[in-house]
Amino acid sequence: MQFWFLLMAETASGHKASYGEVVEALPEIGRQFAALYRSFWSLESVPAETLELCRLRLAQLLGSDVAWRFEEVSLASRQRDELSRWPDNDGFSPAQKACLELTEMHAMDARSITDAQADAVKLHFGEVGFVALVQALGVFDAMIRLGLIWDLSSMKVDQP
Amino acid sequence: MGLELDEGRSTVTTKGRVNSPQSDTGNLIKDSALGLVPETLPHYLDLTVAIWDAGPLSPSDIELARLRNANHVGCVMCQAVRYDIAVADGLTEDLVDQVSKQGIQAGLPERQELIVRFVDWYVLSPSAHDADLKRCLNEQFSEAEQVHLALLMAYFNGFSRCAVSLGGMPDSMPRMEISVPR
Repeated sequence: MQFWFLLMAETASGHKASYGEVVEALPEIGRQFAALYRSFWSLESVPAETLELCRLRLAQLLGSDVAWRFEEVSLASRQRDELSRWPDNDGFSPAQKACLELTEMHAMDARSITDAQADAVKLHFGEVGFVALVQALGVFDAMIRLGLIWDLSSMKVDQP
Repeated sequence: MGLELDEGRSTVTTKGRVNSPQSDTGNLIKDSALGLVPETLPHYLDLTVAIWDAGPLSPSDIELARLRNANHVGCVMCQAVRYDIAVADGLTEDLVDQVSKQGIQAGLPERQELIVRFVDWYVLSPSAHDADLKRCLNEQFSEAEQVHLALLMAYFNGFSRCAVSLGGMPDSMPRMEISVPR
């Protein structure tokens, strides 16, 4: 059965594929991408909760219900509920707001990120944190896009 | 690139936003800003090599997808680079010109046209359902090739947007050949 037909057949039978099942066709690259994705959740430079807020904001902007429903890191339900209204909400720290602002610019057009927006992230997390954040945004965005084009059952990045 | 005031006018500058590590290992990734994040660096290195070595697509096909993506992202450095193994594999500048223009150019071989269509779908409308593209991909590419195409886009799209976000991108760069950092 050919690739897209395989995914569609799984959908028709009620079983959507997971990341691990799709990349079984190419396990070495699938494992390396999964390892890179997972490495962001234990950074010294940026808290995992802040990265989870950014991942969820990307899910909203890309229109991925599966990525939005998925929980990589546990957050206060109020932050989830208010995420699309973060600019005027006191429930988000200045550091989280700096990262969310960069996330939105990165999602629209990375070329439009300003020095002031980059400096705001560096103020809280330093240069290493800024680099880690823009790395993470690229990988989270990629994982959400893979979820959309492969119609994955979950954003859980399981092993092939 | 950042904005700086110059005699009252706003101009685009090429000032980088971070200082790269002071290393000179000869590995483009280790010596770049990516080398600043110890937790992710080994995974970037391993994934880079795997993308080029561990999949069924030819280096020329990988390079066409990478360059089409670079145009979408507007990464000047990514657009200027040619990987030497892709050139050795037969990548021509005529083909690069064809995939670098907007839309689908007439005369593009069917397989390369499908790579361009897939890249455009990935970048511009991943939530859209394109049954015709999926049918055509099934006719021309194996399952492993299609997974390779998606994962290399996941890698290169994120990488090029990271490069742009870090600043320091000039307005133009000459074409330059590089090797896969190993």
